[in-house]
Amino acid sequence: MRNLIAFLRRFQIFLVFAALQVISLMIYVQFLSFPRSQYLTTASNVTGKILTWENDITKHFNLSKNNYALQRENIRLRERLPEFMYTLSAGKVKVQDTVFQQQYTYIPGTVINSTVTRRNNYFTLNIGSKQGVKPNMGVFSDKGVVGIVHNTSEHYCVVKTVLTKDINIDVIIEPIHLSGILKWNGRDPRRGSIDGISNDLRIKKWSRVVTRGGSGIFPRGIPVGKVEKIESIEGEPLWNVVLRYSEDYRTLQRVYVVKNLLIEEQKELEGLIPPDKEEDLLR
Amino acid sequence: MNNLTKNIIRFFVFVLLQTLIFNQLEIGYGFHLMVHPLFIMLLPFEMGVISLMGLAFLLGIIIDIFSNTYGLHASSLVMMAYFRPILFKFYGPREGYDPLKEPNVFDMGNRWFTYVFGILLLIHHFWYFLVEIFQFNQFLFILQKTIFSAVPSFLICLLLQSFLIKKSKAK
Repeated sequence: MRNLIAFLRRFQIFLVFAALQVISLMIYVQFLSFPRSQYLTTASNVTGKILTWENDITKHFNLSKNNYALQRENIRLRERLPEFMYTLSAGKVKVQDTVFQQQYTYIPGTVINSTVTRRNNYFTLNIGSKQGVKPNMGVFSDKGVVGIVHNTSEHYCVVKTVLTKDINIDVIIEPIHLSGILKWNGRDPRRGSIDGISNDLRIKKWSRVVTRGGSGIFPRGIPVGKVEKIESIEGEPLWNVVLRYSEDYRTLQRVYVVKNLLIEEQKELEGLIPPDKEEDLLR
Repeated sequence: MNNLTKNIIRFFVFVLLQTLIFNQLEIGYGFHLMVHPLFIMLLPFEMGVISLMGLAFLLGIIIDIFSNTYGLHASSLVMMAYFRPILFKFYGPREGYDPLKEPNVFDMGNRWFTYVFGILLLIHHFWYFLVEIFQFNQFLFILQKTIFSAVPSFLICLLLQSFLIKKSKAK
């Protein structure tokens, strides 16, 4: 016992150092994959308030660009209104629509804090669980996909953007519907890459990349970017597809959160698949 | 103004400076300005290592909350606080430090400050980017980020001292 106390006293500085390191790295690793609480993120009330004040000043820096983007989106939507179309056949019969049922609704929000140059970049939005935002909902802007909600509080939420290490959104390359997984290498906020595309397939440069909508987080067909470069990976039968994001995340302000009304049904149905026993053995 | 209140005010000034100004300056190419290590550097000479690491952890966690890094800043600041007394002993004068002086560039001179704070800042930045990226095949990128961020951070810390310290002396 005396030896133990002597040992502790001798190495107390190093022991405190090691304990603090272990605590902070444990918090880091835990929150990176699954945040337990909102208190250590910008979703908490105090930091959210302070960052809102800050955003009240800095939002004006990109105001004209953002206004222009919203105006263009308005034009696009207005063009679809029936009043703005020339009616080709007069006297159409209106029917109660039983063919289509609404699956996705959207919640508008504003980015109040953002980073783009870190290895893992998160955006804080000024909407939270009061507006119906929950973790694992998709987020996109008028130009392209933004990310997935990571953590929410009452008034704020933190979005894990496509500029993070393991974002893994399923995307397709448009004209031939090749599906792959979106990745980011941590260097350039304007470019990402797509994993898992076999190199016997031909891909045209500048073909559009959109979301696949398989997991129910995003609807199908939200733009992501365009294929910029196709490189071969040494020793693997895969292409390294570099894509240029269609959204400029450095000046992003207005976003929409996707709410899938049928996600429970999809999850329930997919939960019925029996777990693969061989896969469990491999782990 | 005594030492304690001065350091408490400094704590808040550094938190606000880092989170509201330097976190928002995003230049790209690996530039990531961090000035909050200067707070740990400017704490008095006679402070014990354990309280130093405790303060570093607290400051780091608060900056983490603001920048969604969940403990990364805390870890690298604790690392820096651990090495501070070792470097102070290594570069210290033979008769020990004058307790009336402060470890800043005006009291201790350019040469001493560049060596000690430069090495501490390099340790801090290297650990930060090592844990953040955590891929050993990107080691060159980690080094690039460390150098590109540490040099401008050091220069800004030099500038900041002439704002913060001269004023506190005049009062």
